[in-house]
Amino acid sequence: MANVLVVDDEPNILLSLEYLMSHAGLTVTTAPDGETALQRIADSSPDLLLLDISLPGISGFEVLEQLRRSESERHLPVIMLTAHGREVEREKGFALGADDYVTKPFSTQQLVEKVKALLAERAP
Amino acid sequence: MTRQGLPKRQRLVGVWLLLSGVSLVGGALFAAWLDSQLALSGVARAALWLGSFSGGITLFLMGLLLERMLFTPLRHLQAQLARWVANPDAPDEHTVEGWLKGLGPDLRRVSHSWRADRSRLATAHAEGARSASRIRQELETLLQVLETPLLLCDRHRRVMLFNQAAENFFAGNTGLGLGKRLDALLPTATLANAMAQLPDDGSPREMLAPSDQRWLKVVIRRVPGSERETLVTCSDATTTWNNEMGVRAELNHLLPPLRQHSASLSSAADALRQIPPSETSLELRARLEQVVHDESQALNKHVAEIGSLLDDLQYHGERLRPIWSNDFWQSLDERLDPAHRLITPIGVPAWFKGDAPALIELFDSLVDHLRCHLPSSGFEGEITLNPKRAYVDLIWQGSPVPEGELTIWREHPLTTLPLSPSVADILRQHATDIWSVADADKRHARLRLPLPTIAQAQAPRELAPPRPEFHDFGIAQLPAPDEALASRALRCLDIVAFDTETTGLELRRGDTVISLGACRIVNGRLLANDAFDHFVDPKRAIPAASTVIHGITDADVAGAAPLETVLGLFRDYIGEAVLLAHNAAFDMLAISNRGVDFTMPVLDTLLISKALDEALDGHDLDTLAKRYDLHFPPGTRHTALGDARVTAELWLALLPRLEARGIDTLEELLVLQANAFDKEDASAP
Repeated sequence: MANVLVVDDEPNILLSLEYLMSHAGLTVTTAPDGETALQRIADSSPDLLLLDISLPGISGFEVLEQLRRSESERHLPVIMLTAHGREVEREKGFALGADDYVTKPFSTQQLVEKVKALLAERAP
Repeated sequence: MTRQGLPKRQRLVGVWLLLSGVSLVGGALFAAWLDSQLALSGVARAALWLGSFSGGITLFLMGLLLERMLFTPLRHLQAQLARWVANPDAPDEHTVEGWLKGLGPDLRRVSHSWRADRSRLATAHAEGARSASRIRQELETLLQVLETPLLLCDRHRRVMLFNQAAENFFAGNTGLGLGKRLDALLPTATLANAMAQLPDDGSPREMLAPSDQRWLKVVIRRVPGSERETLVTCSDATTTWNNEMGVRAELNHLLPPLRQHSASLSSAADALRQIPPSETSLELRARLEQVVHDESQALNKHVAEIGSLLDDLQYHGERLRPIWSNDFWQSLDERLDPAHRLITPIGVPAWFKGDAPALIELFDSLVDHLRCHLPSSGFEGEITLNPKRAYVDLIWQGSPVPEGELTIWREHPLTTLPLSPSVADILRQHATDIWSVADADKRHARLRLPLPTIAQAQAPRELAPPRPEFHDFGIAQLPAPDEALASRALRCLDIVAFDTETTGLELRRGDTVISLGACRIVNGRLLANDAFDHFVDPKRAIPAASTVIHGITDADVAGAAPLETVLGLFRDYIGEAVLLAHNAAFDMLAISNRGVDFTMPVLDTLLISKALDEALDGHDLDTLAKRYDLHFPPGTRHTALGDARVTAELWLALLPRLEARGIDTLEELLVLQANAFDKEDASAP
């Protein structure tokens, strides 16, 4: 079963996403900020990362940048989440190496589909 | 003796000598008769003869006395007065003499006072002229640096003055020019009506007028105390208008459905919380859950629309102005280090939109930040375009700036800007962000700032040097434009002198125009900066033999507009002027039958010159230029604009000769020209 790490500082959305992802047959871990996220990635090597941009401490972009620079996690699939939704941010996310980008509010159905599609694409 | 008679002095002397002579002869005859009658002797006889001569002698002596003591001094005084009138500073050659001697001191005082007054007047006049010239120069400078486009029109709506800002604002619009009607520039009936009804107290009237692709806010006001002159200022209201009528209106439309969905969502959520967990309420619960789902989907959709509208709003923000990338890099470079060039612009320059002063500060802070880490090798600046955005990229040799460092830098305050906004505030103002990535070659890295682009590809026009003729208040004295042209004085005519260069001389056998140049004469002055100069695509190869004459090659006309298009522009340029050409028959043939009518009168300097100097040979442009001592810059002869200017100068040289012959109006000139044409026609083989 694929392991998805959801990083967001908003507990309400973490609660829903955790439930919905589990319901879709995925294993979910969560992290409330960038530092914890990096720690979790190092500990549990998730199969996919749902990463919010606005995080306390280091931002989602910084987390992404560090992942893409590291030897072990540079290919980890990352879907960025953002409440800003500017097209420029979307472009920036892709420029820094994100695989997909979802703007809040989003349809949870579509999000789960994107996660599954990306996992299937990267499946060995 | 002449028919006009003797001069006065001679007549006076004649009368005097005649009277003296008659008196003496009469006295002698009278004395001889008395002597014979009375037969006196001795003293009595001597007394008789002396008494008889006394009248004549007295008359003669009185004459001599008057001549010496009165008439001669009067004549000298008259000569001196005449000399003073002709030349007030002439020396006092004759002192006052004879019986007029008493007038001497008074006369000297009068002449000295008069000279002193004249000198004071001359000084005051020169001082006044200097002062007026200084005020005029200051006003001209002020007008030319004023950023508001400004035009001054006379009572017939003809432009008498416009500033540099107006020239830039209406760049490419052939309707702008001294003496042209404002209607050619802003063809709106409402503007003409409003100008006719303007109050005299100078209070402004505003209106929106379309111009090309823009909406202009036009403010007009009567110049108080003037002869119904109107001051016109313009500004581009397109952005404000579009925001007002576009994005803001759409945002307003979105608000009611948002409220609606939000209300439905919160009511359904409240209801769900209050339904008791029982079997009977299962169906209601399911329906309410469906409501929550539907309403949240609808809210999501509207929130996405608002997001994109807000982006639009910021992209079309009024502070974001078009910036030419080369200008931007140059300003940034000057700001960073006036002595050395630090940034080399590379790639294809392009336009983008931004708040230039804020962006300069932003990049200045950024480069300062980067230079701490980087060798002093300098930077490259590049603009990369995608369909929606222009990426403003600063490139260096090395690795990209980590996002963490950019995050710290984003909070950096830009203290030289009002209210010291942070870098993040400026990025927000431009609805953008900044990031740094390595280039594909792995040797360079770049910092990328996406900004809105604009649909414009051409480089900005080079700023014209301050034009010597941006005003001509004499235009107000010109006759009303609707007055019959025929009776218009030649000096008051608006004239467009033009010339064409062609592929050859056989216009009826397929030769055609490759260049059209024209210039304008207003109020008897050739406007140096008002020119029409266009290449024309002849849609055929230019023969080498004609390239030898005008120097225009196929490469020069590649990509030029076709003749029909250029003639349309030329017709707009002419406005209400009269055409002028040298050997106009050729040039008129070259531009006729191409779908654009040129029905205005046409003057021909060749025919006029022949009419004026029938006896002289040589009426070609070069001979006439030599005859009238006209000079032109080297290399400008045999270019369309160059020859149009020589023709215009030639017209101005012929004008006084026409006036001297009593040819004052257009009608009279056209008759003269027609006669010359008939003679030429008759003499033609």
